[in-house]
Amino acid sequence: MTLYLKCVVMRIKVLIPLGIFCLLTLSLSGCIGGQTKPLGLSGVTSSDGILYLGSMDGKIMAVNSSVPSRAEWTFAYAMPSTGICGSSSVPAIIYGIPAVADNMICIGIYGGKVLMVNSLARSQNLVFPQLKNGEWEYPRTGDVLKPIVGSPVLTNATVYVCSSDGRVYALDMSYGDEKWRSDPLDDKLWTTSVVDGDVIYVSTFDGHIYTLSTEDGSLLPWVFEAEVGFVSSPVLYKNTVFVGSFDHNLYAVKIGGDKPLWKFSGSNWFWAAPVVGDDVVYAGCLDGKLYAVNAETGGELWEFDTRAFVERDRIVSSPILVDDLIVVACDSGEIYTLDANNGKLVDKVSIDASIQGAICVQGGIVYVRAQDNCLYAVDISQGKIDWKFLLAIE
Amino acid sequence: MANLWDLIILDPMINGLVALSSLLPEEVEFGLAIIILTVVVRLILLPLNMRQLHSTKALQDMQPKLQELQKKYARNKQKLQQEIMKIYKEAGVNPAGCIWPMLIQFPIWIALYQSIIKVLATAPENLLDLSRHLYSWQIVNQTIPLNSHFLWLDLGAQGDFVLAILVGGTMWVQQKMTTAPSPNPKQQSTSSMMLLMMPLMFGMFSLMFPTGLPLFWLVSNVIGIVTQYVIGGGWGYLKSSSAT
Repeated sequence: MTLYLKCVVMRIKVLIPLGIFCLLTLSLSGCIGGQTKPLGLSGVTSSDGILYLGSMDGKIMAVNSSVPSRAEWTFAYAMPSTGICGSSSVPAIIYGIPAVADNMICIGIYGGKVLMVNSLARSQNLVFPQLKNGEWEYPRTGDVLKPIVGSPVLTNATVYVCSSDGRVYALDMSYGDEKWRSDPLDDKLWTTSVVDGDVIYVSTFDGHIYTLSTEDGSLLPWVFEAEVGFVSSPVLYKNTVFVGSFDHNLYAVKIGGDKPLWKFSGSNWFWAAPVVGDDVVYAGCLDGKLYAVNAETGGELWEFDTRAFVERDRIVSSPILVDDLIVVACDSGEIYTLDANNGKLVDKVSIDASIQGAICVQGGIVYVRAQDNCLYAVDISQGKIDWKFLLAIE
Repeated sequence: MANLWDLIILDPMINGLVALSSLLPEEVEFGLAIIILTVVVRLILLPLNMRQLHSTKALQDMQPKLQELQKKYARNKQKLQQEIMKIYKEAGVNPAGCIWPMLIQFPIWIALYQSIIKVLATAPENLLDLSRHLYSWQIVNQTIPLNSHFLWLDLGAQGDFVLAILVGGTMWVQQKMTTAPSPNPKQQSTSSMMLLMMPLMFGMFSLMFPTGLPLFWLVSNVIGIVTQYVIGGGWGYLKSSSAT
């Protein structure tokens, strides 16, 4: 064999195993493309003492907050998956917060399904869907929508949900029939819409706030257009829409206006939807700060910097107001309770697991589904963890 | 270590990619940015690439001399090695010279892979992660999120067969241009198998990753073919094999 050929073969021999090794290693470590596998950031919601949430292993769960030793019911939904190696099923990935109406729970799945489940049917572990119990999935056939990231909204016997195909869907709450679907508003809608009366407000990544008719999904005349995209879901308060943008600003837009009422600057994206109470907007930012801003003027009232406690921390989930307190959970797992009037720290608890999903409060207890796939009950008045429930064992 | 990697290589590349996209027409911003950045990176790495190609070419040119030596010293391996090294030294060629430039380029390619995938942000976690890498430049934050459509492709979606075939095909052509046929049938079959493996592997990877990445591979392969054509003075072993 000639040396040249030797060199070429040696090169191939070296590069192939090296390439395979590097690609496999980097793929396994999740850094070949810097791509993280979608895991879901589902939050918790509560109704009548029951907590509803989506777990990181694809289950929709109901947990009685006073009996946290076991789940009231668990519903594991698997999505069919077709890959190079054939067909299989994979656990559902859940980003949104379940929407609850009486004993019906609605959730959007990243795989492109909207599910309506009945508490009674699920507690008996009956085959899904129990149509007579009002259960359904949309689409009913093997078809799927594009990924659903935002939460469904239940109102007027209708489910409103945004999909990554850029459309808003209105589904009949009882049977899951499609009432209408909007025209595509953007490449993808990852946000949760707001329904107020007969108007739906939707913010988009390409920087629009659209208003749609709840009747037929048609576009209403008022559309707000910004120069930058909106990253957070919109919040409506006193005829004003509050929404976070990719240019590090929090926007306040009067309905009907063509210019922002004000813009408030942070040092990173306002990923989480803000909360508004008593004319104050509380907005968590990925720069690690919680800002309290006057809803009318956009003037800063106070700010609380979580990075004073944990370096490079950030606020991914929305804060919640509890009387005169505001509770904010951080990516690092720290949960801070602040005086809503002045932003002074009242207490803090650490759960040692990342918090990215929505938190909820019930009877002075904060419930958190953390990224370690556990549900935590945190007593903010005593500054301690009441209990921890491992979701994977159910 | 990861922070250092991000700080020095990855973050500048991500922000460069986004800033570049902001200067391009919105309909094709990200696809075109991938192509331009690939060309730019290729140009930066051109000296290394040239060295690699020249080493290969020099080794190729030496073949008659080396074959002569192999015949002459067929029974004296030690002497053969000495003579070969002497010829290498006289010609100023290092046989490993065709490998090292490629290995040195590897981290740059990995950073480019990572940048493309991070900027594509196909899942909410990826978008969230992207926020950590972006500078506070206005031009960058006003451009996010990027339009992922380019020609018939959704750069954030997976499984485009046409692109996978193009990636595999161009990779095969590029390799074929530099792989000399062997007179030994056994070695020839090994060599042929090797020649097919990489294109097949990358064809498969093209189906598994968001299409932004295969687009980068395709452009990279095409540039590789053009460079090889210009420096090597033609189609190399691709032409000779098709002639036989």
